[in-house]
Parts: sequence; structure tokens; C-alpha cells
Amino acid sequence: MATRVSRSSRTSARRAAGELEAEVLAALWAADGPVTAARVREAVGGALAYNTVQTILVRLYEKGLIGRVADGRRHEYFAVKGAEELAAEQMQALLSRGRDRQAVLQRFATSLSVEDARLLQAMLRRRP
Amino acid sequence: MTISVYVPAALSLLLAAISRIVVGRIAPTRAVVFVVAAMLCAAAATWGLVLLAATLLGDTTLVADEALERGVQLQDPVPQLIGVTAVALLISGAVRVVRVLRARRATTRELRAVCSSCGTGELAVVALAAPHAFAVPGRPGRILVTRGLLSVLDGDERRVVLAHERAHLESRHHWLRAAAEVCAAVNPVLIPVREAVAFLVERSADEHAAAVTGSRELVARALTKVALAGGPDGELRAWPALPFAGCGVSARVAALQSDPPRPEPLVPSSVLALGVATAIAAVQATIAFYQLVYWLWPT
Repeated sequence: MATRVSRSSRTSARRAAGELEAEVLAALWAADGPVTAARVREAVGGALAYNTVQTILVRLYEKGLIGRVADGRRHEYFAVKGAEELAAEQMQALLSRGRDRQAVLQRFATSLSVEDARLLQAMLRRRP
Repeated sequence: MTISVYVPAALSLLLAAISRIVVGRIAPTRAVVFVVAAMLCAAAATWGLVLLAATLLGDTTLVADEALERGVQLQDPVPQLIGVTAVALLISGAVRVVRVLRARRATTRELRAVCSSCGTGELAVVALAAPHAFAVPGRPGRILVTRGLLSVLDGDERRVVLAHERAHLESRHHWLRAAAEVCAAVNPVLIPVREAVAFLVERSADEHAAAVTGSRELVARALTKVALAGGPDGELRAWPALPFAGCGVSARVAALQSDPPRPEPLVPSSVLALGVATAIAAVQATIAFYQLVYWLWPT
């Protein structure tokens, strides 16, 4: 599928680094507690080199987006939850606004009818 | 006044009808043709209403007296009721446009506020269980997701969500959606076109994510997991409450599981042709109106 995205190789390299940061951060948020770089690498998937993951973790740590604890000689990393309460409250408020406001929200996925949910569940079971 | 003043309304109905039919056949990246056609239709229909409303001026005593002085027998070519209806439609359209624009601005402002509470960087994560993901336009654009969404997906599936939202930001889909929403507010006949545009930009982002991750199957799986995590008719309910059949998540999953879309050049061009026809009708109506005015004031 043609996309309108075309960039020079230099910006695409920089972009790729930014994209990996988002993936690593997403993996840390999905984790239940502090995790090692090796676990992060597993959780991100997509065959990243261990060193790449390590570099990204250090960069995210320097930006203050993640924290780390020493566990023996290794570090374990976790997502910094910043103004967690405030953000959650703001988001809740946003999601409970009236009809006009809901209509302009562009969602990744929307709810399914009961029948569609059953069909899609069957599909997931077929191809785990 | 000729029939051409009513043509844009008729063509808007036709555009709405065909948008439901061709939405599954048009390449998702062509959503823009619907937006252009809808804008032409909305503009032409509004202009038609302005012309009809302007004929009310022919009823004012001032004009009637002047016509009488000149010895012109004034015949009203447009029933007054239609003129009054046109004014009412124009006013209600304006009210709806203001509401849509306000809702858009307020929503974007709130999304940005949530993002800035979540720190800096491209990705903003909110600690909520409901699985949501939004593209937040801005400079730079950001991706806002909930922890609930991240935790139901594996690494590859999370990459799908990021690629999908990035596609919205990079292709500036919020402009297409905003334009379609304004058109539907101006002319509610165009609501199905708005829904078609909303569906096509989602499809386009899905296909982009499939190209980035290299697997359409993977995109289908991520979509399915998130939709199911929202529960049936639960957290992720769509607005309007009853979305048009064939425009929901299931249709997107089905499209990802069938062959990749093939461009069919005839479909976008016929949608565009409809928009152009509307514009031509508006021009004709304007000429007819001018002739009417000229007849009233022969000097």
C-alpha cells in the first residue's frame, strides 16, 4: 500500500530511533514491575540487538521518562508514572464528555456488537 | 428561478448513497476524494440556500413599491415558504458548524493536556484500564495510549498501534475528518460521507501499519484484541451510537484478511465528478438568479 511518507535517510534514521524509544517505553508500561534489559528486549520483539535496547534504555533514563533500580550488577528499569493521577483524571473526564465531543474522538478500535465479538473471538482462537 | 438551485441537494443525496456503496471498493488512501466532493456539495447546497433566501427580498415592500413605480408586474417565482425554509436551514447549519468546531477544539485541547501530564516524548501513557489509543495532532504530534491497551498486546501488536497512530499524524488525517465533519454539519444529508471518510482514514492507517510491520494478519489480530478488550458495547462505544453497518472494527478486520486493496481509478473519479456536477449546478443557479434580479431591475 502506498503511503505518503517519504523522508531522507538521515531523518529516517533519527525517526527510527524515536520509534524504538516509543516501543521500549510501551513495553515497560505493559510490564508488571521493574524488568531487566534482556526482558525488555523480549517484550519489544522484532529481533532488536541487545545493545540497541540498552542504548535506548539509557537514553530514556537520561530523559527522565523511566527509572531504574540496581539489582546486583544489573539494572532493572520501570516506567516513571509522572502525574499519573492527574493524567488519569483528565482522560476519564475527556472520555465521559457528551455526544458532540465523543463524535470527534478518533479511536484505534471501537466496541463490537455481541455477534461480531463472538466471531472475532473465534478468529483469535483459530490463530493464536 | 430554475431547477438548478435544487440540484445540489439532489446530488448530495446521491453522493451520500454512493458513499455507502463504494466505501469498500475505494483505495483507503483516496478518502480525500470524498472530502473534496462533500465540500463541493456542501458549498453548492449552501449557496443555493443563500440564493433562495435572497428571493425573500423580492417580497419586501421596498422592492415591490419600486417595481410598481417602474410599471413591472412582480411575479414571485419562488414561493415565500421556500425562502423562509432556506433561511431556517442556513441558520441551523451555522449553529451545527459552530458546535462541531468547538467540540473539535475542546477535545484536542484536552488530549494535549493529558499528554503533557504524561511527560515528554512521542508516546504518552495514561494509567487507565480501558484500552484506548489516540493520535493527538500538534507540533510535534503525539500518541496517547492507556496502560490497559499496552497490557493486552504483545510487542509486535504494540508496534501495530504505534504505526497506526503515526500514520494518522503523518498523513494529517485529522484535517480530512474535520473537513468531513463540517460538511456533514452544513448539510446533514452528507452524514454517510462523514462516516465513509472516518472509516477510510482508519483503513488507511491499518494498511500503513501492515506495511510497516510486514503483516496484515498481525494488524487484524491487534485490532481484534483491543476491540475485544473493550467488551461488547462497552468502554469503546462509537459515536454516533449506531454506526453505519460495515464501517466498524469487524469490517476493518475483514478487509485486512482479504486481498490488499487494488486501486480502481474509476471509483474516485466518479465520486469527484459528482462534486464537480454540483458546483456546475451552483453556477447555473447563480446565473438564473442574476437573470431574475435583472428582470426586476431592467436598468
